[in-house]
Amino acid sequence: MTSQDTVFTKNFAAAGLAVLLATTIAGSAIATETPKVGGTLTYLEQQPHTVLYPPAGGFYPNGGILNQITDKLTYQNPETLAIEPWIAESWEINADHTQFTFKIRPGVTFSDGTPLDAAAVAANFDAFGKGKGERKFPVSEVVNNYERSEVIDPLTVRFHFKKPSAGFLQGTSVIGSGLVSLSTLNRNFDELGDATLVIGSGPFVATKQVTGKELTLKARTDYNWAPKLLAHQGRPYLDEIRYVIVPEDGVRIGALLSGQADFVRQIQAYDEPQVTARGYQIYAPSTRGINNSVVFRPDNALVADKAVRQALLHATDTQEIVKTLFSDSYPVAKSIIASTALGFKDISAKLTHDPKKAAELLDQAGWKLDADGLRRKDGKLLELTAYESPPQPQNKATLQLISQQWGKVGVKFNVLAGDAGSRVQDSLDPQKTPVAPAMVGRADPDVIKSQYHYANRNVLLQTGGVSTKVESFRDETLNGLLEGIAAEVDPAKRLKLVEEVQNYVIDQAYAIPIFEEPQAFGGAPYLKGIRFEAVGRPSFYSAWLDR
Amino acid sequence: MHAQLVSRIGQSILVLWAAFTLSFVLLQALPGDAVLIRFLGGDLGLSPEQIAELRVLYGADAPIWEQYIVSLSGFLTGNFGYSVISGTPVATEILTNLPPTLWLAGLSLAAAALLAITIALTANLTGFAPLKAALENLPSLMISVPVFWLGIVMIQMFSFQLGWVSVINPGPWEQLALPVIAIAVPIAAPLAQILLRNIEAVSRQPFVQVARAKGAAPAHVLVRHILGNALLPSLTIAGLLFGELIAGAVITETVFGLNGIGRLAERSVRFQDTAVLQAIVVISAFAFLLINLAVDLLYPLVDPRLRRDDVKGATA
Repeated sequence: MTSQDTVFTKNFAAAGLAVLLATTIAGSAIATETPKVGGTLTYLEQQPHTVLYPPAGGFYPNGGILNQITDKLTYQNPETLAIEPWIAESWEINADHTQFTFKIRPGVTFSDGTPLDAAAVAANFDAFGKGKGERKFPVSEVVNNYERSEVIDPLTVRFHFKKPSAGFLQGTSVIGSGLVSLSTLNRNFDELGDATLVIGSGPFVATKQVTGKELTLKARTDYNWAPKLLAHQGRPYLDEIRYVIVPEDGVRIGALLSGQADFVRQIQAYDEPQVTARGYQIYAPSTRGINNSVVFRPDNALVADKAVRQALLHATDTQEIVKTLFSDSYPVAKSIIASTALGFKDISAKLTHDPKKAAELLDQAGWKLDADGLRRKDGKLLELTAYESPPQPQNKATLQLISQQWGKVGVKFNVLAGDAGSRVQDSLDPQKTPVAPAMVGRADPDVIKSQYHYANRNVLLQTGGVSTKVESFRDETLNGLLEGIAAEVDPAKRLKLVEEVQNYVIDQAYAIPIFEEPQAFGGAPYLKGIRFEAVGRPSFYSAWLDR
Repeated sequence: MHAQLVSRIGQSILVLWAAFTLSFVLLQALPGDAVLIRFLGGDLGLSPEQIAELRVLYGADAPIWEQYIVSLSGFLTGNFGYSVISGTPVATEILTNLPPTLWLAGLSLAAAALLAITIALTANLTGFAPLKAALENLPSLMISVPVFWLGIVMIQMFSFQLGWVSVINPGPWEQLALPVIAIAVPIAAPLAQILLRNIEAVSRQPFVQVARAKGAAPAHVLVRHILGNALLPSLTIAGLLFGELIAGAVITETVFGLNGIGRLAERSVRFQDTAVLQAIVVISAFAFLLINLAVDLLYPLVDPRLRRDDVKGATA
């Protein structure tokens, strides 16, 4: 058991130091106030939740609920990003990262009274790692190369992997790895839109749902298994949380400011001043993953030439975009990943706005400026198209501003709205969408592989991926680097690969990173103790109402 | 009478089947489908093999006629399936969302009728010419007011500024007050216009002159002699306004954060949630049939000329 102890102590020491720092800073503020127990928090969400199968928790409305009703095997400290114990008291990882053994904390129960033991954890990861065809459960994005589970004793479980899986430990801490009871795992995917059927061990329990309108969560007064390193232990301070769906931006903000609600999600940058002016607070936690970007699909001949992509990168003025459309909550991107992400490297020197250079590059590439101010080569117009991505903040306006900026160097860029079906279908076709907006949040370098690798989200549309419309584009150098990130077990070497990938993607000009995307929330001044997990989903466990 | 009823029911079944089939064909013709949107839409990050596997499980790539038979037989046996997007049974979705919309639409129509009649009667009874002119022009103003704008302005004033009603945690009647006004105003406008015009037309009829000559008071003439005759065209319009009521419901339900068929329909269209959409189309077709039937049955009550003299015919 020595290797277990080493891993454990190493994690613990790194995390401990940071937590010590964090608690001394935060402690001074908290010490003067004793949290009040009781009360109902009213939380306004823009969109209704969908299916609450934990691996579908990436959708923010889902994550905001799952984060209250489920616990995870491990806890990723949002300040240090270190992995700390939670439902797993300790763990042991073999040298090549193909076996992970977790010791489960005793005495943890699901809200239906069944124990959260090794068997339950094994059943959860069997479902997440392999999917469950008969229940229509898809495989979790964060559990790769999964082979099987092994229950060693009632409180010890071991997971076996086919290949080294360095990202798995962090994968056990994410929103998509929330642990649910066996009864939930025995339901069909299509039933799990009913939150009251999703039985977790979290500090709150879903008790009543009016689908598409509201959801009530009640506190579990017997909750006693918060991450050990948190100052707050025991029951949550609130008695109840009411989630209400209010699609209209103005109504959510008005309700917050008039005291009808305490906490709201999705405050647009242009609405921030009216919230802060009244002494209300904007929370803008970083999503710590791939920055809000536009990516190219080099399978399309128009953007197959690296020089054209580089020209468009230098034609893009990200400062102007952030200054015009966003606020201080949206830092200008300095790389393809956020500056708060693991392995971030500041490569902003390569991302300069330089329209002169852009024009030169396009001239050299043979795209000549015509009398109408547009560029052509052999009579063919340099005209690009992308669909807006409605979940991203002000995405349409962002793309339209980019369109204006590209227009200044003679490139035509069309921004389409379109229905969901056309958007999804055309986005798989590099001929129809040579450009696409992209972003994804996750606080582990695996997220880069997830975004760019052909077998995952495949945003560049390489052959061998989700799209059947791609003819020939494939970049084995990129794929090799990405696979290295997923497999490399030495943390230092892994971060080196992360740095290489950031440079490579920008050197090839596959992506134009724009800003670091936060999740913007507004909260009442009397609402205290709101915390966010590493990717910006709120946790109401320690929240309390000072009124 | 019996034969007429049977043929009417037969017609209705045909209309329902046609609505179902037509909407099925149209939904199939749209690019993409709910399974594609749901599982490729971004939040799951699935691999191509995993998506292919799910498509098979959902039968999304089965031949169209097979999908048609599966969904039609599901409808006939009362098994409406699950919403791919919200993860709840379609039946539950309909049962939670239909009653609030019926309340909203019903009360709005009643409020609109009341408003229209009030405008028409006041305009005709007032002796004060400027008021009459103002009231006669009011419908044009009312129809120009966008529902969402009126909704937001009322929320800002009555809820956020004055605090008279809550929009986030309202009681059952409180939550209907503002939305009903928001829908009723633009719906009342065409009703009032038609009523005003008809009252004017009917008042020129000889029988009205006779009534006046006999010395009946203006109010008596208006209510007893003119109104009944003037109501008929408004009734036809009221039946047709059902579509507008539903359109108004989509907007008000979104602005006020109410649950209802309107918002459900909007979401289902956005995500091509076929199972839910089909149910909504069939229910809407059914509602149209019911309303037309009700209007047809109401005509004879309002207008004696339309009463079929069955009794007399039978004895003769």
